Amino acid sequence: MNWSLSDSWSFSSRHGLALLLAAVLASGCGQDGIKVYTVPKEQQPQMSQADMPAGHPDAAAASAAPQLKWKTPDGWTELPAGQFRVASFKVADKEGKQADVSVVPLPGGAGGDLSNVNRWRSQVGQPPVTDEELKTLKQPVELAGQPAALYEQSGQNPTGEPTRILAVIQYRDGTAWFFKMTGDSQLVAQQKPVFVEFLRSVQFAIGEAMAAMPAGQAPIADGTLPAGHPDMSAAPLGAANSGVSTAGKPQWAPPAGWTEVPGGQFLVAKFTIAGAGNAQGAVNVSSSAGDGGGLVANVNRWRKQLGLGELSSDELAKSAKDIETTSGRATLVEMSGQDARSGQPASLVGVMVIQPGQAWFYKLMGDAKIVAAQKDAFTRFVQEVKY
Amino acid sequence: MSLRLTVALLALGLVLVFWGTLAQVNLGLYKAQNDFFRSFFIYWSPAASSLRIPIFPGGYLIGWLLLINLFAAHLRYYQPGKKKYGIIMIHLGVVLLLFGQLLTDLLSRESVMHLRNGETKNYSEASRQYELAVVDTTEAATEKVVAIPVSRLHQRADIRHPELPFTVRVKTFYSNSSLVEKSVPGYGKVEISAGFGSGIWWRELPHETDTDKRDMPSGIVELLTPKGSLGSYLVSAYLTRPQVLTCDGRRYELVLRLARFYKPFNLHLMEFKHDIYPGTDIPKNFSSRVRLQRADTGEDREVLIYMNNPLRYAGETYYQASFDPDNQGTILQVVHNPSWLTPYFSCVLVGVGLLTQFLTQLVGFARKRKTS
Repeated sequence: MNWSLSDSWSFSSRHGLALLLAAVLASGCGQDGIKVYTVPKEQQPQMSQADMPAGHPDAAAASAAPQLKWKTPDGWTELPAGQFRVASFKVADKEGKQADVSVVPLPGGAGGDLSNVNRWRSQVGQPPVTDEELKTLKQPVELAGQPAALYEQSGQNPTGEPTRILAVIQYRDGTAWFFKMTGDSQLVAQQKPVFVEFLRSVQFAIGEAMAAMPAGQAPIADGTLPAGHPDMSAAPLGAANSGVSTAGKPQWAPPAGWTEVPGGQFLVAKFTIAGAGNAQGAVNVSSSAGDGGGLVANVNRWRKQLGLGELSSDELAKSAKDIETTSGRATLVEMSGQDARSGQPASLVGVMVIQPGQAWFYKLMGDAKIVAAQKDAFTRFVQEVKY
Repeated sequence: MSLRLTVALLALGLVLVFWGTLAQVNLGLYKAQNDFFRSFFIYWSPAASSLRIPIFPGGYLIGWLLLINLFAAHLRYYQPGKKKYGIIMIHLGVVLLLFGQLLTDLLSRESVMHLRNGETKNYSEASRQYELAVVDTTEAATEKVVAIPVSRLHQRADIRHPELPFTVRVKTFYSNSSLVEKSVPGYGKVEISAGFGSGIWWRELPHETDTDKRDMPSGIVELLTPKGSLGSYLVSAYLTRPQVLTCDGRRYELVLRLARFYKPFNLHLMEFKHDIYPGTDIPKNFSSRVRLQRADTGEDREVLIYMNNPLRYAGETYYQASFDPDNQGTILQVVHNPSWLTPYFSCVLVGVGLLTQFLTQLVGFARKRKTS
């Protein structure tokens, strides 16, 4: 049987079909319109914030934050609640080891236990677990009078520091509550009984579930870096190949004797410098959006790498030096100490260059003799970079 | 038009369904549906090029060609007479099926109503589409909502509307984004001049393709009046707290939220029940006892929604879809599909057509046999 289009397909039929087609296609349009409607007011507690003055920065955050009560353990420093955190604490011991405690509510399931536990595991370099294996990881604890599961992950963070994460997710009133302690492995292990006691002390107020973030993605403010760690290789959720690639590589001319080597995804560039004997030096170039956490935080990060204590901004102002570059002013700092990784004496020259929307960090670090010999070449190199 | 074309189209459809099903692995359900089935062509772009080369017919094209082919065949071979009634009915049934699916695709709308025990709502929410709602909250009892769909924000143009006291200028808009409270590599500082969000850093993310997740858009909008700017505000799906501002003595809230579909009635969740078989964790039944209240008709009744027993009301169907992990809330799927009956009609039509055709042939055959 072979059918063919017949002449009997009349003009009117054709028109009819065309009209039908047009009608159906037209019905798909018009969905981009702005809708206006008047509706009865919702009877929800968070509406009271309409009374806040316009543009008041923290008013909305404070008024709509879920009500949570707790007993702050001794030795914990309470920090101001953030945009996402309803409670935040800092824990530090005498040796300077630190841990961070956060409480973040997310309405809905927030991805469930498995995906969150595997995300935390990836942050400490552990392989993901299956649903079955997850069950064996559960440690029963009590949170606000209800049973909850605590997950403990330990390993190394992307910079190689021993890190431990204690986390509890409790689902109540349509909200997933994340209670988390992250930090130095030893300190967090010591603090575990304190953290468990803190969980027991938590009390939820009625109606707290109404104001928080929508369901969907896993917690976002979670697993991010401490302030001012722009060139560390720890990225927030889904942020592999971050800022560096978007910033692009500026134009520069490395001095003779510098060998460019792959620096990993969080360095824009890395150069090694070989000296007499086994002496080694390296130049790291990294970049971060905005001011990259500021000068003080970054200089203190460098100081930590040389086993030096933190400086206040006043102290830093005395030792930092302003230098001129072809792209504006920059700040140069110098320090000497012991390389925290190798234990060898080392020096460091760091320069921070602020460009519109982007901060650039140049670090010359290594054997004191090499650093002294390369300092001028390094400074000239930084001064001549074109962004 | 020919039977060959029909067979060829059905074969293409087969390949399309197979390919589109596999593509969901990488693209996710929604993108695969749009790229493969809700399109006239499947496009391929060479690496590092913005060219889009059509390489295969999409669902719409195959569907339309099948429909047109069927119409043409019918017109060509239409012959008055009882003998063809069955064929006509079969054809009409298939046409209705194709057309009904197209209408379903274009006109149906799925949304979700999430109710906690004791909560009352008069709207459902889209699962993925967002809107920028400018809500005038000045009045005590009511609020006026101007809902701007996200597609308008993408255009980055100034948005004006007679009901808006200001022009909304979209300065930045990310369809999917990540927000953090600290400076981390790859994140830019949120530069705003009003409202909260000044300590936030953000970055754009690619579209979410995982079926269980959705995009979390964020943007910065500046509100402009003839007297000047009211400031640049951060709006984000991560923030459910609205930005609050005043303009000409009226209070407004600005919030980027899942698109809402308001109803002329209220649903109040009286109780959600998650029954299990005694001594096990095996679910036996999920049910939501809701109270339906409608002011304009005075309607006020209780309804029990459970698996396979949805509430059908005002052109919508409310299915028991999910529940909160703490068993204190229910999630109802709300389906608005004006053409939901067409598959039933078309199946009946095709069935009756087949039967008619068979009986016509049978009777004709029997008569012939009798006469011979």
